[in-house]
Amino acid sequence: MRSIIYLYCAILFFASCDKIITLPIKDNETKVVIDATITDQPGPYFVKLTRSINLNETNIYPVIENGIVIITDNTGIKDTLKYAKDGIYKTKLIQGVYGRTYHLEVNIEGNKYTATTTMPSKVYLDSLRINTFAFNGENQYSIIPVYTDPVELGNNYRFIQKINDTLDNNYNIFNDNLNNGKINQRPLGRGNKDISIKNLDLVTVEMQCISKEAQLYFYTLSQQTGGGPGGGTAPTNLPNNINGGALGLFSAHTSQITSIRIPKF
Amino acid sequence: MLLINRKFIVLLAIGLIAIFQPIKAQEKTTVNGTVKDKLSGESIMGAVIKIDQLANIVVTSNEYGFFAISLPKGKYDLRISYVGYEEKRIPIALNESISIPVFLESKNQLADVVVESKRKDDNLIKAQMGTETLNMKSISRVPVLFGEKDVLKTIQLLPGVKSAGEGNSGFYVRGGASDQNLILLDEAPVYNASHLLGFFSTFNSDAIKDATLIKGNGPAQYGGRLSSVLDVKMKEGNNKNYIVNGGLGLISSRLSIEGPIQEDKSSFILSGRRTYADVFLKATDKFKDNILYFYDFNAKANYKVDDKNRIYFSGYFGRDELGLGTSFGINWGNKTGTIRWNRVISNKLFLNTSFIYSDYNYDVNLKNGETKFNVNSNIKDVNIKQDYTYYFNPKNTIRFGFNSILHSITPSIFTGTVNNSINKVGRNGLENAIYFNNNFKANQKLTFDYGLRVSAYSIMGGDIYNLYNGNEKTSSILLEKNAFGKTYFNLEPRITGNYRINELSSVKLAYARNVQHLHLLSNATASSPSDQWIGDSYNIKPELADQTSIGYTRNFKNNTYELGAELYYKDMQNQLDYKDGTNINTIADVESALLYGIGRAYGFELLAKKKIGLVSGWISYTLSKSERKIEGINGGDWYNAKQDRTHDISIVSIVELNSKWSVSGVFVYYTGNAVTFPTGKYSFEGQTIYQYAKRNTNRMPTYHRFDISVTYENRDRKKRETSWNFSLYNVYGRENAYRISFQDDPLDKTKTQIVQTALFRWVPSITYNFKF
Repeated sequence: MRSIIYLYCAILFFASCDKIITLPIKDNETKVVIDATITDQPGPYFVKLTRSINLNETNIYPVIENGIVIITDNTGIKDTLKYAKDGIYKTKLIQGVYGRTYHLEVNIEGNKYTATTTMPSKVYLDSLRINTFAFNGENQYSIIPVYTDPVELGNNYRFIQKINDTLDNNYNIFNDNLNNGKINQRPLGRGNKDISIKNLDLVTVEMQCISKEAQLYFYTLSQQTGGGPGGGTAPTNLPNNINGGALGLFSAHTSQITSIRIPKF
Repeated sequence: MLLINRKFIVLLAIGLIAIFQPIKAQEKTTVNGTVKDKLSGESIMGAVIKIDQLANIVVTSNEYGFFAISLPKGKYDLRISYVGYEEKRIPIALNESISIPVFLESKNQLADVVVESKRKDDNLIKAQMGTETLNMKSISRVPVLFGEKDVLKTIQLLPGVKSAGEGNSGFYVRGGASDQNLILLDEAPVYNASHLLGFFSTFNSDAIKDATLIKGNGPAQYGGRLSSVLDVKMKEGNNKNYIVNGGLGLISSRLSIEGPIQEDKSSFILSGRRTYADVFLKATDKFKDNILYFYDFNAKANYKVDDKNRIYFSGYFGRDELGLGTSFGINWGNKTGTIRWNRVISNKLFLNTSFIYSDYNYDVNLKNGETKFNVNSNIKDVNIKQDYTYYFNPKNTIRFGFNSILHSITPSIFTGTVNNSINKVGRNGLENAIYFNNNFKANQKLTFDYGLRVSAYSIMGGDIYNLYNGNEKTSSILLEKNAFGKTYFNLEPRITGNYRINELSSVKLAYARNVQHLHLLSNATASSPSDQWIGDSYNIKPELADQTSIGYTRNFKNNTYELGAELYYKDMQNQLDYKDGTNINTIADVESALLYGIGRAYGFELLAKKKIGLVSGWISYTLSKSERKIEGINGGDWYNAKQDRTHDISIVSIVELNSKWSVSGVFVYYTGNAVTFPTGKYSFEGQTIYQYAKRNTNRMPTYHRFDISVTYENRDRKKRETSWNFSLYNVYGRENAYRISFQDDPLDKTKTQIVQTALFRWVPSITYNFKF
């Protein structure tokens, strides 16, 4: 809704203009970044360790090769991850099963980072539905993921949308604060301004059932990337589930991928 | 608490001394009356009444033009004056108490200065601090965006008042948030005073008589917000002649009609306004299904029952509409209504009773295939108020009364095929206040205005109230409908003292405590219709502010120039914010995501005015700081509030070239808002994500702008007036930063790009106004 309001601002004040500027940016405190994911699909699963850099540096992120990464679960499995390459560590024993709780421990040069997460129960993506919307004489398409939210409150979802081969960068983070226990009616939003869904396009959607912590992380991220007049809410580092002062997230989620081709209307 | 009690006792003592001081055992009689404009019959507030024979008596007329003076029997000459009007002298022989009507005639040449002082050196005798009155007639020449003269945008040019952003009608007073301003339209609170997301205010200048801004040191009859009171009064309607007023602009047009219903007994005014940007959108192929407009409507009527009773009815209705064809729409607006009954109970006692209704709501509707839903939220007030003015003796004017408001607040509720998962219901709260205020002229040099307001807010039943300790829900309280829950009592003492050092200068000192029971949660910087109001609860305590200020005023060159300086310090308690990642519109219980803290604001304000002459205007400068400390934000350390701007300068100048042409200019310069820019970045899932350090330690670029406006006025023999106003906003086309965003450079993804968005460069406008 907010984005629609801002769209109106843009229409009304067609005179608005953008320009590239430089700003004096303060030095950054380098932090460890942990990108760790377990899904309900067969492993191995990966943990990526990197460091953050200054804003004006080129996006080449230093990788951490000497970390000790251990994942345990509540069934007693302990898995010490093996370093592969590019800062990525690989699991051997851990299995992604919904309902299980996973504990991550990372040791880097004497600093310890820990995180705990539980994979939520799986809600199945039944199908994808095409939502057509005629506006200003043109048909606009969006995709509605069809699934039935369980009766218990507290389900969180993330949808990743690909249009043909292009990954859309919008964070579609849903929860059941609205329409708990009902079939979803909400379409997915799109982020890339220059790509729209057209006739005969193939749209692929991955549905993830995510934890509450992951919901908070990604929803906050979606609010910060949206921005509003004057900058929106004051941004902060994304709230995450990692203790010890690292950035990133440890997420255990389900995954299901379905695709649909837009017919020629 | 101990401190408050002590202050309270001191105040009470002063009050008693004032009332019970020995009065000469002479037989007293009273002269009272109502001051009005001779041509229109509109009552004049703030007219100064003096008596030639008694140099130390100065009385001012109240909101309804009423005044009363108790005097020993005898012959006197009353002198009544008001800026822009010829002074009037009325000889009276006082053998018994009398009532006299006073009609003032407007001067041919209007005093053009917007910020006027009631008497030429009135600024030196009044025990009122941080108070400015804007007269609509005179703000018409200050250039504004889209040529639409606007009281909310003009007050932003005063010291201590900051604009919420480019072209925005939202404002911040002395470091407070925008919801800490009490905006009243004929006594009814206006909960969202902006149209079109802030680019217009809800106040149609054709329907407004004047507006008074009090920056935190209000007399005790005002209460309910921490930072300021903006008291906007609608015109009463000419009770002698019919007048049609209107204006045609590029974006909007206005029309108003006023006149007598029965001459000298009753009158009315009807005023409407609508924008028509949507008409242009319809003409384009690309935007033809877009809906975008607002309209508003003001109406007022008054009826003089007899010499002692008068009734006023006033109402406002305004609506904004945005939409995409028939599939998506959002509309919002305010409705207010006030019925007032003025009654002269005795020679010395004046009573005004008001019944006030105010309603703000927004409604979103979406229709898309089988998905159809509405989101509705509103805040509704029913309010009764009694205000007595007692002209006890020429030294003491006492005001006392009560105010009782029933607030009904409905948070965003979804209906249709999409519903809230946990049922949400509206909440009620009862806000009561009693007050006492005395204006005491101790002697010719020393004046005090002091008072006490006792406010109480009671949580009312009909909903479940959850209690939280940090993140943890500790318990729930189910209050039955119409049952009362917790009540918060607060004492709000206020005192202002004025000491006239000499003929030319005075020094003022003030302290006030203000309490606020309604709080606004906003998810955007600019005012947004989806902002949510919430009342006190078991978790949310009333916001408190203690403001102390000291000021010095000096007039120069026979009161042609006036220089005022004020220093203030404000402490704020129980300030609210909410956790990152909260969607305040869909969350089941917003109280689970709230954070609490304190705030402080301090500053120095300077205002130099030239009040009369062919060149008039003012320069205002503010040096200030505003900070917050909230548990859970910025590691619990102090941080700059977003509206913290170090320097703020406005220069307004109006030049009268001849009887037909005038030119005016506005220059604005201020430090950028406090914002948070990223310091670093990292990669997550292959996307660039920004890293942040402390909150609000960065600054938006400095803002400055110059606007110019030329007015041509013509008056024909039949007294028809027409005028053309040409204005240019942002004359030198500065690209002031509206937003700064960070993104991957589209041409080289390994680099970060900083993009600055500016809104307006050179906005010209033409407005044609007529009056006949």
